[in-house]
Amino acid sequence: MAGLLLSPTEKVFILHGVQDDYRSDGRSNIDYRPMELETDVVSHASGSARLRLANTDILVGVKTEIDVPKPDKPDCGKLEFFVDCSANATPEFEGRGGEQLANSISNMMQKAYHSSQAFNLKQLCIFEGKQCWKLYIDILILECGGNLCDAVSLAVKAALFNTRIPFVKAALMDGGNIDLQLSDDPYDSKLLDVGSAPLLVTLCKIGDKCVVDPSAEEENCSVISLIVGLTGDRKYYYPKDADKQQSVESKCTTIGMNGPGSVAPKTLKDAINQGIVAAKSLDEALGQALLKERQQNIGIKKHSYGFLK
Amino acid sequence: MPLDYRRFNGPDDSVSYKRFTDNYLKSYDELYEELIDKNSRRKDGRKLDEARSMCMFFARTDLISQAKGSAYIELKKTKVVCSVFDPREIPHQNEFSQLGQLYCEVKFAPFSCVRQRRPHAPDAEERALSVALRQALEPAVCRHLFPNYQVDVFVYILEHDGACLAAAINAAGLALANASVPMYDIITACSLAIIGEKVFVDPTEAEEHLAIMSPDTEGTNHGIITMSMMSELKQVSDFMQIGSMDVQCVTKVMEILEKECETIVPNIQKVLVLNVVQCFNQRKQLEAEAKEREAALNAKMEEWKKILNAG
Repeated sequence: MAGLLLSPTEKVFILHGVQDDYRSDGRSNIDYRPMELETDVVSHASGSARLRLANTDILVGVKTEIDVPKPDKPDCGKLEFFVDCSANATPEFEGRGGEQLANSISNMMQKAYHSSQAFNLKQLCIFEGKQCWKLYIDILILECGGNLCDAVSLAVKAALFNTRIPFVKAALMDGGNIDLQLSDDPYDSKLLDVGSAPLLVTLCKIGDKCVVDPSAEEENCSVISLIVGLTGDRKYYYPKDADKQQSVESKCTTIGMNGPGSVAPKTLKDAINQGIVAAKSLDEALGQALLKERQQNIGIKKHSYGFLK
Repeated sequence: MPLDYRRFNGPDDSVSYKRFTDNYLKSYDELYEELIDKNSRRKDGRKLDEARSMCMFFARTDLISQAKGSAYIELKKTKVVCSVFDPREIPHQNEFSQLGQLYCEVKFAPFSCVRQRRPHAPDAEERALSVALRQALEPAVCRHLFPNYQVDVFVYILEHDGACLAAAINAAGLALANASVPMYDIITACSLAIIGEKVFVDPTEAEEHLAIMSPDTEGTNHGIITMSMMSELKQVSDFMQIGSMDVQCVTKVMEILEKECETIVPNIQKVLVLNVVQCFNQRKQLEAEAKEREAALNAKMEEWKKILNAG
């Protein structure tokens, strides 16, 4: 992490803590830090979410636009990720400083959402071969306190859950061109099916052990971290009384490594398995939180209390 | 998007003529049928678990004379050139860095791909490949030996027929060794494609294309995995997966990948050893020639001396 100085002794302290499964902030190796999540925070976006994971602060806005589908995938919509590392986070991101980090995160997200089993692009189709929705997912990193990937993936999933796409009332063919008629009512819209959208879990190797949700200090101590993207489970994202959604085994949609070090094959396997456990509980917690928030907001206008607390 | 005006870019909305051929309109199942014939052989005659490292592999070094080290690797139709340049001071950096840096760049030739013409400016895929290449190479290089310096590694993909990242990593590893950059171990990489139950080791472009396409049936495994390893140290330096597959599948194919990475090592070693032998022979020959010349010169000298003395 940028601009963080740790003495060798401090590093040893963190390393020993991880070895004994008791980290410097009192967590065990498989614990996440407390999170704050708020959706529908940006009024001009189709969907938005803000996530604060300890010191990491992410704001995601989803904008929808109409585009022409790719010729080899006529019935699929498009999804594009942009990460912006704001210079507010650290002065090092100023200018083009954060570009590399931003690229790697957006690459990771793009790869994780690539498969239709992770996110079905067919739900963004308007008129096969002619028009489709394109979702621009803009991720703003306001503050970074470690574990950016996980936080970004959580915030993106929440923002997509919150995204409303207007209903198309009519489509007129006019000499090969298509005229769409959309409803003017902003509430006349459909929600996306994002239950299976992937979450990224970063496993940071410190000493011989892997920890989830590393803080900035812990990231500084480690030379290699593994990022695993796992699909979510739809059942967590539908109210209990709604139609029974079958539970599905979560699948790996992307795996990547980050950092100058290397790992033994066995460690890699163990880390992946550890990642699955973490992703599952994370997914369940996110689903519950999102459903709860949606329930609270039904009928009443949301009481907004300043979004950057 | 900045355009390169020195070359003809064509209209913005030009499409490949291949879009209008029958091949283009084939469905997923038809494409899948095509990959394997009745004897469960692939299109190029390989078995499913047979990599191109054995009989379709060619590697050589020293083809770019201006570079410190260079390598060329061919996996049948995947052809990759890599060059490594001398260390130079890290540009635009005022902080001292304890460890040397690797700068990697992967570039596709405009005509390298079957499906589309590659744009002149680096696109997202090339940038992602560059990052992956750096990730794979970094652990293998003794970076503490050249602090505050960077070594440039350029990979140019001439023809892309699958497994281009693996080929790029192999070529870069060989080129680094050829440039005598100190390294901990030889680095090799291998990739495989998964479609349903079938595992295609060292896939071709057609197989890769189908593997990242999402099948219609829900829950089928599909995807590509590339792994790079330092085989002697038993360390994985990069692991890249894309697609969607269950975890057992990932752990199962990891062993295949590990084995494949190991089988490439002798290929690379052979090239390096041959290089040393060649270098040694060359020096010997040069020394012999030098001796001959010196003897001839001495003889001439004696002759002149005689003439002078006589005169």
